[in-house]
Amino acid sequence: MSPNRSTLLLADDDPTIADSLAPFLERAGFHVLVVSDGVSALEKAQAHHPELIILDVLMPRMDGRETLRRLRKAKIWTPTILLTQVGEASERALALEEGADDYLNKPFDPHELLARIRAVLRRARPGERSLSAAWLLTASDLSLDRRARRATLAGDIVELTPKALAVLEYLMTHPDEAVTRERLLEAVWGWEYPAGTRTVDTRVAELRRALDDDPADPRFIETIPGEGYRFIAPVHGEG
Amino acid sequence: MLKKSWVNLLLLFLPLVAGIAAFMLISVFARSLPPFMLTADFGFIAFVLGMTVRNLAAVALIFGILTTVLLLILYNASLRRQEQTRLLIDSAKGEAEQGRRRFLRRLDHEIKNPLTGLRAALVNMKEVQAGADRERAVENASHAVERLTRLLTDLRKLSDLEERPIELWQVDLPDLLQDVVDAAHVLPAYKGREVSLLIPKVPSPFPKITGDRDLLVLAVYNLVENALKFTCDTDSVEIRLAEDGRAILIEVADSGVGIPVDDVSKIFEELYRGSNARTTEGSGLGLALVHRIIALHEGWIQVRSSQEEPRGTVFTIHLPVKKRTPILRPSG
Repeated sequence: MSPNRSTLLLADDDPTIADSLAPFLERAGFHVLVVSDGVSALEKAQAHHPELIILDVLMPRMDGRETLRRLRKAKIWTPTILLTQVGEASERALALEEGADDYLNKPFDPHELLARIRAVLRRARPGERSLSAAWLLTASDLSLDRRARRATLAGDIVELTPKALAVLEYLMTHPDEAVTRERLLEAVWGWEYPAGTRTVDTRVAELRRALDDDPADPRFIETIPGEGYRFIAPVHGEG
Repeated sequence: MLKKSWVNLLLLFLPLVAGIAAFMLISVFARSLPPFMLTADFGFIAFVLGMTVRNLAAVALIFGILTTVLLLILYNASLRRQEQTRLLIDSAKGEAEQGRRRFLRRLDHEIKNPLTGLRAALVNMKEVQAGADRERAVENASHAVERLTRLLTDLRKLSDLEERPIELWQVDLPDLLQDVVDAAHVLPAYKGREVSLLIPKVPSPFPKITGDRDLLVLAVYNLVENALKFTCDTDSVEIRLAEDGRAILIEVADSGVGIPVDDVSKIFEELYRGSNARTTEGSGLGLALVHRIIALHEGWIQVRSSQEEPRGTVFTIHLPVKKRTPILRPSG
């Protein structure tokens, strides 16, 4: 294996998926370790220290969530992407609460997984707890208490719809990253919506109004023309 | 709910038994009275007393009989009601079971077709080395995967709608409908046609409703997509907005081929495909989703369609104007 190649640990019990994804990721320049259950994933993660872990949720012996919980309990902060199978909002929220750095709903395009891997690796801080695992996120005078589902600006509670709050949460856990409208749709809404881009734009406009953020001179959310949005204020995580 | 049992039957006959017992006791008591009290020879008071005691026995017996008869009538009526309720529940269960089987049958069909296409495409990819045939096989495989993905996505939407609460906020319908028209431009069936949007100038501004904007967009979009799929370039597609003070009406109308009469009552069923829709692209869940979304908004949808001149189809969504509490609130 080339010393410059990042090592990925892929845990999925479906051989069709693992056998197809592993060569694809190898071609993309990664060294891929494949396991088919959570217990093996835990062992490999501790023995080989991969740069990133991809965990399927439903696996024999130990499911992906439990594996992730145990990794975090053992203070192993390796960036992790969860492959979920149900598109429900509760499952998506849970994925973040358990400290996954990102997640993808099956079925997904392998290129989308590759994009997620690269984005997560880019923002990873080796050995440090990721923002996705923090309960309290702060950026300047803006705070987001993820457990209480409450945002405050300069100490005052910000009035937001649940969707707008989820958009803010996603952007704050992916700071300084170009987040496409499609990605926000998938992450927050879970479905593709026909007027998708407008749907996202409407919520971002709501957020900006509530945060008193001028799009021409943004403090928090910057528009990337033709692409999406970027949370530009530095974010700190606690808890 | 009453159940047919020996205990119930015994309880029903209790007043009768009590009546007979009272009758017998009083009769015995009456016999034990001095004989002079039972004749009229010893004065009016003795006569009245004697008659009262005797009548009391008869009254107790009659009361017991009548009460038992009344209870039997009520009991019988209750048993009938119970039976009718059971039949209704059985019938609803039967319908639900029938619906479930119908859904599975249709789902089986919807999955089988793209899977067959996918298998054939994979065989072609394996056997053909390069060139146009291989490219076509790859295209067909992608197409089959797209079909399956679309089906799965719509199934997920339906299941999500069953479980999650809708988000209520003030919705500007003219703005929402304009979004739908803009979004329709990217549909393959659009082909550069015009989708007319008719918004009344009065009242101004048009009343807002409280609802889930994203879901309402999805509902109207599905209707517009259908209208575009079942019309040709020379046909018209219109979205019309109206209000009558109590409800807001959104109509999606087209001058296309129309829906066969036999299909009209079934088009909102999950995975139902009308006889003229079998070869058309779609998951078969679009109208079921529309129906569900409108029901979640406490509204309803109707359709009228004609395959003869003047032909066309009009879907009308009725949304109540009544105030609902928006869930916009301080976060947390």
